[in-house]
Amino acid sequence: MMPRRGSRVSVFELALLAVFGVLAIAVLPPTMQDIAVLTFLWAGLALAWNLAGGYAGLISFGHAAFFGIGAYASTILFVNLGLTPWIGIWIGGLIAGAAGAILAVICARLRGPFFILSTLAASEVVRIAALNWATLTGGPEGLSIPPVPGLANMVFASKDAYVIMMLVFLVAVFAFTKWLEGSRYGYYLFAVRDDADAASAAGVNPLLVRTVAMALSAGITGIGGSLFAQYFLYLDPTFMISPELSFQFALLAAVGGLGSAVGPVLGSFLITPMSELLRAYLGNHAAGLHLVIYSGLLIVVMLYFPGGIAGALARLSGGRGKR
Amino acid sequence: MSTLGQLVLSGIFLGGIYALMSMGLTLVFGVLRVVNFAHGEFLMVAMYGAWAITFYLGLNPYIAAIAVVPAMFLFGALVHRVMIAPALDKPHLVVVFATMGLSIFMQNVALMAMTADLWDVPPMFARSVTIGPFYFKAELLIGFAVTIVCTILLQWLIRATYLGKAIRATVQDGEAAMLMGVPIPRIFLITFAGGSALVGIAACVMMPLFSVFPTVGLNFVLIAFVIVVLGGMGSIEGALLGGICIGVVQSLSGYYVAPAYGQMFYFILFLLVMIFRPNGFLGQKGAANIGINE
Repeated sequence: MMPRRGSRVSVFELALLAVFGVLAIAVLPPTMQDIAVLTFLWAGLALAWNLAGGYAGLISFGHAAFFGIGAYASTILFVNLGLTPWIGIWIGGLIAGAAGAILAVICARLRGPFFILSTLAASEVVRIAALNWATLTGGPEGLSIPPVPGLANMVFASKDAYVIMMLVFLVAVFAFTKWLEGSRYGYYLFAVRDDADAASAAGVNPLLVRTVAMALSAGITGIGGSLFAQYFLYLDPTFMISPELSFQFALLAAVGGLGSAVGPVLGSFLITPMSELLRAYLGNHAAGLHLVIYSGLLIVVMLYFPGGIAGALARLSGGRGKR
Repeated sequence: MSTLGQLVLSGIFLGGIYALMSMGLTLVFGVLRVVNFAHGEFLMVAMYGAWAITFYLGLNPYIAAIAVVPAMFLFGALVHRVMIAPALDKPHLVVVFATMGLSIFMQNVALMAMTADLWDVPPMFARSVTIGPFYFKAELLIGFAVTIVCTILLQWLIRATYLGKAIRATVQDGEAAMLMGVPIPRIFLITFAGGSALVGIAACVMMPLFSVFPTVGLNFVLIAFVIVVLGGMGSIEGALLGGICIGVVQSLSGYYVAPAYGQMFYFILFLLVMIFRPNGFLGQKGAANIGINE
């Protein structure tokens, strides 16, 4: 049964996100603001991953490739050609989206673990290419964006600006996800995910629906990658296009709750601060402890609450959720 | 010419060892229809076990197998009871994410316990073995021999024993097998634990050739997935064939092209196989169509 879904972002949700933004700027000391920046960005990226993984059933463990493609595209355009990142992020998003569409078409026949492994293999190809194509990507040394603050450079001296930037990204992706849920295309997505044959019989083209979902998801991930590049100012292929990063997008969405707009946001708001704080406080004494807790939580959530935090909350509040 | 021969033969022997490492994965997939994303971490734990026995007791890694293999069998049985079995009747995603979580969990527990240092065992043989004009590490030849013995034993186990018959029946039609009195849950448990024990054998054979560190599994699991898909998920002979292919590709590209690009070749090979022959060389029909939503 498909419960009614809100197709718009509610005033309450917007207000809540705005409160988080204001708190992050007004209350948090600058060192802690990094955590807010990452929480918002990872939430947006988990939402983007969820478009393919949760809504279309295309579980990808290769999204770091799109993240990296977006980041490298805007950075190369900016550093080599002087193109402002305000335009570059869109080009990065477009290239990443095109890569996503190509991957979806290539893997059109694959299901389940085979699809997952193919996305992993494809992102490894991109990573190895980025590591070795040194004239374009700087190879293992990576690429740096000159830390010259300025609006045209999209580089800011104050962390506040980055908090706002990532929050705007999160709100935009969240609103888009909500809109998609209620749209005609959203229903195509659920139909194809739940039963591709039946959807196909009803006149929905599963390949087209899946390809568009993957392209949208990859494109938004690419934009997120560009934004990360503008914040971090340094690109390193062993981090930007790592399987670990791909898993992170997937895990945030899965712990929060797949196939809902609130789930990935909850996932990131709960896990990102916890894992960043643990990393900051315990990093030197117990390297890896934050990931032990993080992955232990994932196992427990998966085995006992397959609907993630959002699913568990929905069950608590009287079974209004999807699962 | 002799360089080429040397490279191809070394590739075959190395590939055999890769195949041994992949057999547990393919067995578990073939029977339970579950991809264990923590397979590489099982290998990592077993390698630490083989290393610890060598380092603290002064034994050699091959003798360590006497302890490591049963320990891995028990470890596999435990993981199956706690995680895999409860997840089997849930959506496919649950197993994917739960084993993914287990993989990250084990990596980081190892990082905390053992630090990120690389550990080796001391070399056991002073000289390499000469066969005609070619030279090989003795460890490589031993590893390949163990692979062949394991392949033959596994084939015998699956073809000729009651357990093997029950496993094959489970693969062909689980419900019918259950009606004939095959205890499916126990078959699943034995297969998963047996697959882990195979990883234990692979680890003891690999310890003299490779260093062990917390993320060693990640390097090998990707190779194992490529091999299992090349050979067809669930096929033991397929894994051997796939392993040898990857070994030769790696050996040749490591010499003629930069080693980094060699890795890229087998991922591209993997994608090509996925696109054009998703059932692998010797795989079961329809293996690629097992959907997440089923």
